[in-house]
Parts: sequence; structure tokens; C-alpha cells
Amino acid sequence: MMGVRVAFGLHQPGRNLRVFPDDIFIVSFPKSGNTWTRFLLANLVYPEANPDFTNINSIIPDPEALTKRRLNALPRPRIIKSHQYFDPRYNKVIYVVRDPRDVALSQYHFHRKRTLIGDDYPVLRFVERFVRGETSPYASWGENVAGWLATRYGRSGFLLLRYEDMIADTGRELAKVADFLGLPADAQRLSAAVRRSSADRIRELEKMQARKWSSTRNTRQDIPFVRTGKAGNWQSGLPAEAVALLENTWGPLMHWLGYETTHEQNAETADARLLPAILGHHRA
Amino acid sequence: MIYGLKKIVKYTLGKDIAGRYLSVYPDDTFLVSYPRSGNTWTRFLVANLLHPDQPATFDNIESLVPDTEAQSNRTLKRVPRPRFIKSHEYFDHRYRRVIYIVRDPRDVALSYYDFDRKYGHIPDGYGLERFVDDFVNGRLTSVDWGTWGENVASWVYTRGQSKDFLLLRYEDMIADTGSQLARLAVFLGVDSSRERLENATERSSLQRMQRLEKVSEDKWVSTRNRRKDIPFVRTGRAGAWQAALPLPCIAAIEAAWRPIMIQLGYVLTVADGSGAAQNRTAVQKEGLISHPMQASST
Repeated sequence: MMGVRVAFGLHQPGRNLRVFPDDIFIVSFPKSGNTWTRFLLANLVYPEANPDFTNINSIIPDPEALTKRRLNALPRPRIIKSHQYFDPRYNKVIYVVRDPRDVALSQYHFHRKRTLIGDDYPVLRFVERFVRGETSPYASWGENVAGWLATRYGRSGFLLLRYEDMIADTGRELAKVADFLGLPADAQRLSAAVRRSSADRIRELEKMQARKWSSTRNTRQDIPFVRTGKAGNWQSGLPAEAVALLENTWGPLMHWLGYETTHEQNAETADARLLPAILGHHRA
Repeated sequence: MIYGLKKIVKYTLGKDIAGRYLSVYPDDTFLVSYPRSGNTWTRFLVANLLHPDQPATFDNIESLVPDTEAQSNRTLKRVPRPRFIKSHEYFDHRYRRVIYIVRDPRDVALSYYDFDRKYGHIPDGYGLERFVDDFVNGRLTSVDWGTWGENVASWVYTRGQSKDFLLLRYEDMIADTGSQLARLAVFLGVDSSRERLENATERSSLQRMQRLEKVSEDKWVSTRNRRKDIPFVRTGRAGAWQAALPLPCIAAIEAAWRPIMIQLGYVLTVADGSGAAQNRTAVQKEGLISHPMQASST
């Protein structure tokens, strides 16, 4: 059956997406604010389409949700959603990064929503799998982030956004995106896009359309996809042992990204010089 | 209209090239490098270490340490496990155990220039400066490798600290084959007796490999139907770029990959003007090569 679907381009290509040189990608590890960024961009670039969960997949397509045939037929330049770890074919990349402690907690709840784990699944056990990269097919959080940063940071065609900065000043960060894409972006257009992509509004849309969207259809409806839209949930939601494990695994990378750690780092497993050395000592 | 038919037919007939579609097993060990970085030499060293009773040649190397870019998925599935597989792929998270070979990109460029002429990718008169511009920008190469810098950085910065990752520098392997081969043997978990190491070194020597290439070049998958006047096994030396690479080419390569070259211990010759290199050389002096890549971390 799969062979027939592949033959007619009716499969979802995922990583095997046919990439065009003028494609623009919104890339992040899962649960890092990709959907929010997608709505922000959709509302900035295509406000007349009234982006919501029923049409977001065709406005800013997801290669995991659309067929190869549809993806190939979309008007160009395409703005594409992706969770893929480094892919050299992506020429223009907006990379969204989020504190891995919040990412782990968010993915824990998302896996409950998808009934991949039960409600009583221990958070620590989930985080142990998370640091080994076993909770998603997109490599580990650190491999995904470091792979993109080490190859592309500081080069043209790469914009790094932090989810936390987007929350602190959404308009400012969206203006960076507009500038990166060379889009006309007056204050009015920017603030309209921010307003139409607010957590409250997206949450309302989800309530009405959850069964019509590929990522929420066939999942538990009592757990929302759009969760808190906040930074720092890990401080109350993650056990100390899980926090220590995450910080010990990715301490230097977290520091470089500006995420302060709370536990003493284990010098044996964390080489503080590795990433800063290639990226320069400071994040711009 | 028929999008993937060619692929499906090839796959069904076992005529596909596995490449990035390779089915990976958790007990696989991969020999990864950018092309023209000493991968074939390392393949011979690994094969000769693992099979002291079966000296590696270009006739048996595809079964001893098969090539993901030359063999079909079906062929590779038949290889007895644990498999030792050659690859040029940029970071693939499914590869658990990785031996990564890195070589000075200035020498890689020169070697790649000859290789691309051997393969008919470029004509003989193709300008070296134009070629280096292609090299730096990732043209003339498979999308599965990325640029030199992308390939190296995508592996070293994701896996550099892992106990399942062994970084070898081609230059160190040439300068002191014995010590680097000993690291390789420990990583592979084979007996690292002096006799076994010397045997493997001898059977993988430049002279022997050059001789074997001549014997088998019409049969080996990577040399058959290619120009015979340019050898696959070239000089086996480090530093040829210093005499053979024009200054603008050196400058282009160093400008493209300055931080990672410094970190890997490749001394730069062209100032970048920003002063950033001077700040970063501190990293190099601390002997970074031996530190994160030692297979001793927990």
C-alpha cells in the first residue's frame, strides 16, 4: 500500500520533502513555540487568509501532514514548518529555541494527550528518555539545536529566535522576522499579527477546531495542544532530579542560549568550551 | 505524474543506493567523514584490524566495510551484524557509534579537485579558484554531505562529547599511525597488541593500497568506469595545500570555516581582520582535540 501511495505522491514526505532553493523554513524542536511562530508569520504574511487551524496546514505547510503532491504544487516561495534536525538543503531558516526544561515538560503533556503515555507516567522517567533523544524522531533536543547552530549560526539565511524573548516582546521579535524575510512591516501590520496570534485567541480557535487539525485530531480532547503559552513552567512542574539531568546533559549549550542553570554542572559530561568556541563567545 | 516509481522499482530490484535511506541497526558502527578525508584508508585499517586472517583489498572491502553510498539497502541488510559501514552523510541521529575522520579542508579541496576530474564532474581546465568557490558553497557535491564545514560541525558539535564517538584527524593518523590506530582498536573493542596493530598498518600502507588500486580499479565500485590517469589513492600526505593552493583559495576556505578550523587545530594563515581569531586561539592551545573526544567520559 505504501508503495502505491509513494508512486502517486500521496504520502507525507516528512524529511524527504523536495526542497526548493527559495523555501523558507520555521524550524524548531517540537514543543518550542513552532505553532505560535507559524500563526504569527501566517498573520503577518497572509492576513487576508484568516489563518486558523482549518487552513494553517496549507498556508504554512507541514511536510508531516500534507502529501508530496500537494507540497510540490504550492505557490512559491513556500514558508514551511519543520522539526527536522540539520538539513543542508534548507537555505533560509528561522530557528526557534526554547528552554529544554520547559520543552521536556510540554512534551510530557503532549505525549499524554496523544496517549503515548498514561497520566501516571513518571515525569523523571520521561525526562530520562528525553535526554537520550528517544521521545521524538527529530534527534535529541541538544542534537537538534547544536546541529543547526554549529552549522548556520552567524551566517546569512539563519535567524535564531528564543521563545522566551518572543513572549517578553512579541512585536520586537516579529519585526526581526519581517526584516529577515525582507517583508514590509509597519507597526500596525505587526501589532495586528501579534494580536491575532495571541495565546488566548489560538486557544479559542483550538477549542472550536481541534478535530479538524492534523496535530490534534485523534488525540485526547481534555488536554489542550496550546498549553500555557508561558516560560518557566518547569520551575513548578519538573522534579529537581529531572532538572539536574537536563542541566547536566546540556549545561553549556543552555548557558550559551542564556538559560540559567540551577544545579552544579558535572564537568566530566559538559564541555563548556565546545559550542561557544565555534559560535564566538557570545550570542549576538 | 508517477512521482516515486523509479525509486520503488529500483528498491524492489535491489538496485537502489542506500545512502540516507539505509536501514540502521543499533549495533552498527559507522566510519564517517567528508569525502577525500582519509575514509578509504581508515576503512582498510578497520577491516585489517577486525579481520587479521583476511587482508583487505579493493575486491573484498565492500563486504568487509561496505559503503552506504555504493550498496543497496538489500545488500547491506545481508551483511553480518554487527556491521561496520562507511558513510559520508552529514549528521544522522540514527548512527549510534561513529568514527569520524576529519582532514584539513585546504587539503580536502585539492584532493576533491582531482577526484571531480577523475569522475568527469569537471573538465581538466576547470579553474582551481572557481572550484574552491564551488567547494566552499557546497556546489558540485551531494546534498547528503553538505559543505565540509556543515558535515564536520554537524557531527562534532552534536556528538563530540559522546563515548560512542571517536574523532580522528587525518594529519594525526599520518604523523603517528600507531597511536591513532591504538585508539581505533580500543574503540572497536579489538585486541590492540603491537603485532596486530603493525599488521593492520602494513596491510593498509599507501604503497600497498596504490598497488591494489591498480590491480582492481576496473572492478571496484568507486573506480570502475572512471578515468584511469588520475588515481583514487593519491599522495597520502598532509599539507600539500601549502605549495599547491593559490592564496585566494586559502583565504576563501579559511574565511568560510575559521572557528571550526581553529578548534580542530588547523593553523590559519590569513588574518580575518576582526581580531576574533586571536581571541579564539586560546581554545586551540588547550589541546582541544585530545579533550572532548577521548573515549573516557561517562
